[in-house]
Amino acid sequence: MIYLISALSAGLAGGLVVAVIPENRARLRNFCVLFFSVSAMILSWKVASLVFAGIKIHAAGKIGDISWSLAPDPLGAVFGLIASTLWLFAAVYSIGYMSGKKKQRTYFSFFLISLSITLGVAFSGNMVALYLFYELLTFVTYPLVIHERSPEAVKAGSKYIIYNLSGAGAILIAIIITYSLSGNLDFSGVGTPPILAGCMGSGLNWLLLLYVAGFGVKAAIMPLHRWLPEAMVAPTPVSALLHAVAVVYSGVYGVIRVIYSIFGHDLVKQLQLGSILPWVAAFTILTGVIIATRQDVLKRRLAYHTISQLSYILLGAFTLQPWGLTGAVLHMISYSMLKVILFFCAGIISEQTGETRVSNMGGVGWSLPKTLTAFAIASMGMIGMLPLSTFWSKYYLMRGSADGGIWPLALVFVISGIINALCFIPTVVTAFKERKTAPSRETGSKSAFMLVPTLILAFIAVFIGLWPGSVWPGIQAVINRFF
Amino acid sequence: MLYIILPVIPFIGALFLFIKKDRPKNVSLIVSALILILSGIGLKNIFEGNPFPLKIPLAGPFSPAFQIDHLSAVFIVLAGLLWLVVSLYAPEYMKKEGGIWDFQLPALLTLSAVLGVFAAGSLFTMLLFFELMTVTSYFWVVHRWDKEAIKAGYFYLFFSIIGGLLIALGIMLMSASVDVLPAIGSGRVIPNDPHKFALSILLLVAGFGIKAGMVPLHIWLPHAHSAAPTPGSALLSGLLIKVGAYGLIRTGEFAGWGIKAVSETSWLGPVLAVLGTLTMLAGVTAALLQSNGKRLLAYHSVSQMGYIILGLGIGLYLGPEGGLGLLGAIYHIVNHALFKTVLFLGVGVIYLHTKETDLYRLGGLLRHFPVTALLMFIAVLGITGAPGLNGYASKTMLHHAVSQAAETGASWAVWLERLFVLVGVGTAASFSKLYYLIFLSKPLKKEVTGKESFRQKLSLGILAVIMVVIGLQPGLLPNTALIPAAEELGMKSSAATFAHFSFWNPGDVISMFITLALGILVCWAGLKSGAFHWQPYSWLTLEGLAKAFGRLIYAVVRKTARICRSIFSAAGNAGNAAGSRLFGIISRFDRSRSGKFGGIILSGISADAALLIIVLIALIIWYTLINPDFPGIKLSSFLSIWIKK
Repeated sequence: MIYLISALSAGLAGGLVVAVIPENRARLRNFCVLFFSVSAMILSWKVASLVFAGIKIHAAGKIGDISWSLAPDPLGAVFGLIASTLWLFAAVYSIGYMSGKKKQRTYFSFFLISLSITLGVAFSGNMVALYLFYELLTFVTYPLVIHERSPEAVKAGSKYIIYNLSGAGAILIAIIITYSLSGNLDFSGVGTPPILAGCMGSGLNWLLLLYVAGFGVKAAIMPLHRWLPEAMVAPTPVSALLHAVAVVYSGVYGVIRVIYSIFGHDLVKQLQLGSILPWVAAFTILTGVIIATRQDVLKRRLAYHTISQLSYILLGAFTLQPWGLTGAVLHMISYSMLKVILFFCAGIISEQTGETRVSNMGGVGWSLPKTLTAFAIASMGMIGMLPLSTFWSKYYLMRGSADGGIWPLALVFVISGIINALCFIPTVVTAFKERKTAPSRETGSKSAFMLVPTLILAFIAVFIGLWPGSVWPGIQAVINRFF
Repeated sequence: MLYIILPVIPFIGALFLFIKKDRPKNVSLIVSALILILSGIGLKNIFEGNPFPLKIPLAGPFSPAFQIDHLSAVFIVLAGLLWLVVSLYAPEYMKKEGGIWDFQLPALLTLSAVLGVFAAGSLFTMLLFFELMTVTSYFWVVHRWDKEAIKAGYFYLFFSIIGGLLIALGIMLMSASVDVLPAIGSGRVIPNDPHKFALSILLLVAGFGIKAGMVPLHIWLPHAHSAAPTPGSALLSGLLIKVGAYGLIRTGEFAGWGIKAVSETSWLGPVLAVLGTLTMLAGVTAALLQSNGKRLLAYHSVSQMGYIILGLGIGLYLGPEGGLGLLGAIYHIVNHALFKTVLFLGVGVIYLHTKETDLYRLGGLLRHFPVTALLMFIAVLGITGAPGLNGYASKTMLHHAVSQAAETGASWAVWLERLFVLVGVGTAASFSKLYYLIFLSKPLKKEVTGKESFRQKLSLGILAVIMVVIGLQPGLLPNTALIPAAEELGMKSSAATFAHFSFWNPGDVISMFITLALGILVCWAGLKSGAFHWQPYSWLTLEGLAKAFGRLIYAVVRKTARICRSIFSAAGNAGNAAGSRLFGIISRFDRSRSGKFGGIILSGISADAALLIIVLIALIIWYTLINPDFPGIKLSSFLSIWIKK
């Protein structure tokens, strides 16, 4: 329990410490950022290893009549691991990216506080805690979205707040209904049934819809996705970490929780909505990536692509099959790394050459060869080619769809893979058109801070792709927990 | 064990090359020689009956597995030989073309990947190396990085990626249809779910068929093979498309070689045979109309792959009696690799000294390049199937297999036999054209720089000698290597079938000569009448059709997107209007505050208003729930009509 609490509070403490360090003490601040990121990562690894070992960690309390609890289970532990590990990479990258920019103090303190909140979402043990952290996440990331303070950024920030709070409202109503039905909001442990097990009636469809619509805002299911491309005005590390991984994953995580811990896959199987949801996800997958191919600004392209890829995970969860959930959890792990690489590369390109539009990127590859190599590796993964870890998640997602008796859904992954190729391959290739030797722009400490985490992540992605067994125990634990 | 390290050797070579950028010449030569020697040693073991299964024990879903049986050994030796020849040839060529390092590094990596595919023991391992091969060989295609090369590269990459995805889907469906995913070389699979199994076979055929240039999935091939620098084209045509054929043979193994076709996969043989014939026809027709030498050769790769696919199809169709089909197909793989490499390298020699690949602008080069002319003549005779050379051997076997199929009475098989002869005439015609226009016709191009060098002559000569040896001793290769391979694949009767077969039937020899004569006649007629200059209308070509189809899809998508967008924007406008109306009503309650908050102008106060309303509603509902005495509606009883516990 001490690990749990300290893992949760490391980021918050770091944020507060950074907030009191004067703006001009860059070196000290960078040290603090790294120190607290590393300690949060180590602590959450510790928590996760305890969880995977089957040791129960629990912290609970009451606010008035409402009881909250923190009790990480394997799914939460996987999410916490992804978030805290990638946070460290993003922290290193941020140091490079933000160097020489203004308002670093605000940036880094909210950056670290967001880590705590995200881990809170991951480690929450009942709906109350999940809801509180989920709401808080919107608020602590808002300053990061409007970091530039330009009119555009402020507008995007408003959109961000409105969308996410409306979603949270829907969730709150759904939680109240759930409580009135069962009188219990704790996520079940091993062997105990899900919260709503034994309920029946067509109203459950609407309850599930409320939940999915609520969490679906952050998970960017298609009609509710509009805030995500707008939020790309944020600094690139924020886009990379929060709007491709942490924030959106909290939505995805919520949906998986609702389906497997609140309703249970047996109950969802009986609902009509349960057979519609996979198709909603499939629609989002295809539409998202098709829109992405039409975007010229690289970050917006990546944002629409995020929308598409998040629905991969959702589709895996909606298949209600063990293999489908395997694919979903594996995709959470592998996709997050690759997407962070893509965003990091986009950031390096825009920082080092000033280009943000794909159509202007002709020939940048010759001055940024390592960056574009990392980009190419990540885009191969997005297509689903083998030495990358996303192949395996895609494979199991397809397997889940086939097992669920809806194998045409497996075709969706193939088609979306092809469109992914159309989306990213030309970007890489045009970056290398017109053979020329240009002076390298990958020198200097700023560049090194940005490039090193990118390359390490690319290496890890290939490693997991060649040895998917290295993350298998965690996934197995999740599957055993729900099936 | 020795064999397993084969894919590692080129990889180490590539690493060395990556570090020492300035000495690219000899690394690949040394590596490929090493591969050839090692595979020669290993071959002995394999033919003594010691295959090397190896599984790297990794926990989790994927553990790389390797196995080498007779079939793999044949392919590995072939790869080693071709790479050796090309690395002899390449340094000189690439020095003039530019970018020798950019060629050699992908070449070594591709060798590693290709060996990996042949040595793979599980479908996942095979797919891994297959995808790596796609990526590394892509750098040959885009070597020049100009507009045309990039376009060809897109063709190559996209088709290969689609192939890889289809294979992945196929593997997935296969694993869903059986208990344990079958290893490569484990023979026939008996599925629990025949429907899914048949589907997975179809997907694997499509995936490998893309690599093999099977109609209608071949349209990437001529672009890619003619855009690459010539040594790259030689390897692409000589070996890389054979990887597709290798995949098809392995796919056939899952369906079962040498057994009477079972119902769920009985379609496979006829479909492959018909597709193979169509591939032959499409390739040869397009080749006749080409004026660019490399493109002509590339279309001929399509056509010759058709022979191979046809042989595989007949082998599957005839079941236990299909020995000649399978043997002929594997034999033709070896033969085609040999003569197509010579032809490409020969055209490369011409290009290097004249900077010209347009056949109509060449001519009379016989006296400039006598040795190349001789060696290419041997290769031309080989590919057209002249008796006494290697092409004759495999084509005769395939012809006998087709006749055998036609004797079963299936009407499609009868038609295949007729078309088979027709394609032979077309091949002879197009190669008479190639050879005549380059070496024999009136000299048009004046300046010819330099002479053919020793390395060039040597590299072409090695292959030509092998071709002649095979041609004069056609039974040697089948008896030593191909029949054991076919028997291991499950075609138990292939030795018996082969014993009854004779290469030197007078009928076959005479018909081959007639084919050649007809081909030369067609060539003469075509050149005289100018028919070879005719360019088909775009709607007649597959590429044109695909383009039109693509445009149609694009138009539909755009129309749909536009409609969707207008619907969404209408909905959005309505929502906006409603929202601002609501905002107007709300703001009437609070005139005193403008939209400013802490210096930031929120676009309306909608955010905190919305929050306030939501929180209020939530609180009201909350109270109704936890305070049962609260006067008002009780939500729980209201809900119970709807959801029952």
